[in-house]
Amino acid sequence: MYVLGIESTSHTFGVGIVEYDGKDRVRILSNVSDQYKPLSGGIHPREAAIHHTRIAPLILKKALKEASLSLREIDVYAIALGPGLGPCLRVGASIARFLASYYKKPLIPVNHAVAHIEIGKFINKFKDPVVLYVSGGNTLVAVQRKSRYRVLGETLDIPLGNMFDTFTREIGLAPPYVVDGKHKIDICAEWGSEFISLPYTVKGSDLSFSGLLTAALNLARKHIGNKEMIGNICLSVREIAFNMLVEVTERALVLTRKHEVLLVGGVASNRCLRTKLETMAKHHKSTYGGTPIEYAGDNGAMIAYTGLLAYIHGIAVKPEDAFIRQRWRVDEVDLPWLKNY
Amino acid sequence: MESRRGRSSVVKELLEFVEEGAEAVVFTGYMLGNKVIVKQRIRKPYRDQRFDEIFRYTRTKTEAKILAELFLKGLNVPAPLIVDIDKYLIVMEYIEGRKLVDIINETSENKIAKIATELGVQVGKMHSQNIYHGDLTLGNIILSVDGHVYLIDFGLAGYSRDIEEYAIDLHLLRRSLMAIVPEKFEVFFGNFLLGYRNGYPQKYQEVINRLEEIKLRGRYVEERLKKIRGERYSE
Repeated sequence: MYVLGIESTSHTFGVGIVEYDGKDRVRILSNVSDQYKPLSGGIHPREAAIHHTRIAPLILKKALKEASLSLREIDVYAIALGPGLGPCLRVGASIARFLASYYKKPLIPVNHAVAHIEIGKFINKFKDPVVLYVSGGNTLVAVQRKSRYRVLGETLDIPLGNMFDTFTREIGLAPPYVVDGKHKIDICAEWGSEFISLPYTVKGSDLSFSGLLTAALNLARKHIGNKEMIGNICLSVREIAFNMLVEVTERALVLTRKHEVLLVGGVASNRCLRTKLETMAKHHKSTYGGTPIEYAGDNGAMIAYTGLLAYIHGIAVKPEDAFIRQRWRVDEVDLPWLKNY
Repeated sequence: MESRRGRSSVVKELLEFVEEGAEAVVFTGYMLGNKVIVKQRIRKPYRDQRFDEIFRYTRTKTEAKILAELFLKGLNVPAPLIVDIDKYLIVMEYIEGRKLVDIINETSENKIAKIATELGVQVGKMHSQNIYHGDLTLGNIILSVDGHVYLIDFGLAGYSRDIEEYAIDLHLLRRSLMAIVPEKFEVFFGNFLLGYRNGYPQKYQEVINRLEEIKLRGRYVEERLKKIRGERYSE
């Protein structure tokens, strides 16, 4: 059986195809995507949607070609219906609704955040991890319990990826935000060598990054042009933000007595965060699992894989009812495969 | 337990390792014939050393101060006995019992109701002293063998008159219940609130209102938009 998944919640348009042998073997056949990159500023939802519309047929064809399949051979279509940016979501949803109804195949609604977690579990062969999900739109710690992911801590204002993007943009280092797979904050951190005290805000197990961002920006604006000082600030912003994440994850790990730590989402490819989290996990005799870059950022394969899980458990939606959901929290989705945890 | 200047000399007997928490290592020992807990905040290998020392120092200090105050005010907390701030160490009374996180899944609803009510009273009393806990989870509550509820781990606690901090305590408790015993949430939290109202009648309603507000603050919360846009909201 072949499942085709479409991702278009934010800046990435992606199509992935997975194969299922009907028993226990799942294979990712293709995972193709293209990212909208703003020339200036951040993501403009309409511009991103236009990008998706233009690139969609090409990405779809490429994904099919890599999997050596034609549309007629696809058995199930999966679509990320949210959370995300409305105009972007509508592009993917329209295509998925069309394909499912034209070929008369089941259409599976997938929550984007759930998909990030499920693909991470799949790749690491994890059963029951403490999940740290960090990306441009999300920053949260969750565990699975009784058919749902339960959020133990999350950002109260901006997500971490968003904070890094904003900081580097405001001090004139971005866009582009990522060069050769490295975020500008990491490049800039290499210029520095000393730590500076900046606000560290953990409220219970929730996080807040806006105070850190403001303090760092105010300081950086006084030192524009001073490469070493800007480097020190970048280094400190990153260190403090990551320490906050690791502390909250550590507390969740100890509280829930689990033995796996899973890092997912776009920021999962950050080496510094990976190292810190791995050190923490090892300290608590737990296994750390990361996500390789092609599955860490937004991608179609994670939608296809999660769509497969949902399909097997009888979840589907009629194309005429497949509305997008800009706001759709990870802890609102009932997931039958987590029933026994 | 090893540190530059060795072990705390007042705790004579051999120490026995209990557990390593998220922040500290915990041992039991004996002092003047009484069983005690020795809690030492250890270095975090993932944290830069300079930041690390500040954290361990301030949290040990906070915990000692708040424990002392709450104990003197008659709340159910372990009595602090010795504080060695240079070693980030606190020696406190040993409470014979188990953490709620470890027993709650096997505890009957009747018993949960009783525990939760007493917890509510304790937390209410704590808040009425303008003290918040900062990490009120099922891992930081002990049910003693004689059936009483004790609060522990005050490293993130603090003094505040802002009801926000009190509501966050309740929010954290709610979260930890949802992650550990979602099916017993209603009975636990309902009874907790009954107790809390008795422990802190003056600001009860204000704290509850703020708690509802906090719930709407997370990412992608649909209700928040409905609230802001009112009737016009539709998608």
